[in-house]
Amino acid sequence: MKSSQTKSVWWTVALIPVGLAAVMTPAILLAAGGHGRWSGGHGFDAVVHGIESRYGVHATRIPFMGLISGIAGVSTHGGVHNLHVAEFENFSGPVDGEELNDLVANRVGEGWMRMIRETSRGGGDQTLIYIRPEGDRIGMLVVERDEHEMNVVQISVNPDKLNDEISHHTHGHDLDAGDGDAGHKVDQKVDNKSEADSE
Amino acid sequence: MKRSKVWAGGLILGIAIAASVGAYAQDQLPPPSPIEKQLAARANHVTEVTLDKTMLAFAAKFMKDEDDAEARQMIQNLKGVYVREYEFDNDHSYTADELDGLRKYMQGTDWTPMVRERSKGDGEQTDVYVKVVNGQMQGLYVLDAEARELSLVLIIGPINVDEIGKLGGTFGIPKHAIKSVKKAEKEVTK
Repeated sequence: MKSSQTKSVWWTVALIPVGLAAVMTPAILLAAGGHGRWSGGHGFDAVVHGIESRYGVHATRIPFMGLISGIAGVSTHGGVHNLHVAEFENFSGPVDGEELNDLVANRVGEGWMRMIRETSRGGGDQTLIYIRPEGDRIGMLVVERDEHEMNVVQISVNPDKLNDEISHHTHGHDLDAGDGDAGHKVDQKVDNKSEADSE
Repeated sequence: MKRSKVWAGGLILGIAIAASVGAYAQDQLPPPSPIEKQLAARANHVTEVTLDKTMLAFAAKFMKDEDDAEARQMIQNLKGVYVREYEFDNDHSYTADELDGLRKYMQGTDWTPMVRERSKGDGEQTDVYVKVVNGQMQGLYVLDAEARELSLVLIIGPINVDEIGKLGGTFGIPKHAIKSVKKAEKEVTK
């Protein structure tokens, strides 16, 4: 008798949090979804899904991307890793730069920092480059839109290994392979832009 | 007696919090001037580069060349780099008031004008401000206005004037902005 009473007390105790969770979870999910932050998680997939749902487009995923990423990792001796690519073809219509910026910022996730943003009036060209430290590696997430298409690329780079690999392949060529300054290489896009502008 | 101890404790805690908030605020890049939003709305092309202390320290890790040791040290200690470039379709799409507003935005007790360059023909204007704290350069602000382009460069943190040239062309910092600083430095040391 005592044991059945204890059991019923335990059931009551256990049912309270379960009931609370059942009531609260949809409310929390709805609230988070309302802000567009949590509905699709964070990271590359969340960014791609966000673009798909906002602009009514469908991303073309490159088949065997995992395999390609693996091959890239092996061939660069770990220099390049975790490659993700999504391509939106026939992406027409105007894109509000602020809106795209917010969409990506809300979905990219913790640890990512926007390093570069380029926008053109009318939304024809848009570039967002996010980076994050990943131990000895740099994670990069690039969202680029030109006149007719948009690409989302995520990559994890080990600048030291990549630099060694580039030096190895360009040995004897007319390139300053031995500078060892991978930080400059990461900023090559920025450098090129600055040089073009200064001219 | 007990009450006065509690008050003293509270006061010390308050001072400590205020000091740490102050130190934190100094490490942060200031929020963009409202004028920048107006310029961005008018510009044909806008480039924004923002790097905080963490990212700069991380980037410095990969500068392995011995010749870059001092530049690496400087980048490692920088607290932030902020670059904005606005390109316009037409000449002088910005007003003199907007330029003044951008100049004044960075002027404070620690900031002093270092360069003021004006050219009559094409109306090019360059202003360089430096932040000097206890005799050491702790910040650099370059405002470069050309007919169809406006560039803002803000570097926060201890700056080694000898190594500043190496920042030109990296982290989105236009080379011409750094050239103005080097030119001014030469004038000063003449």
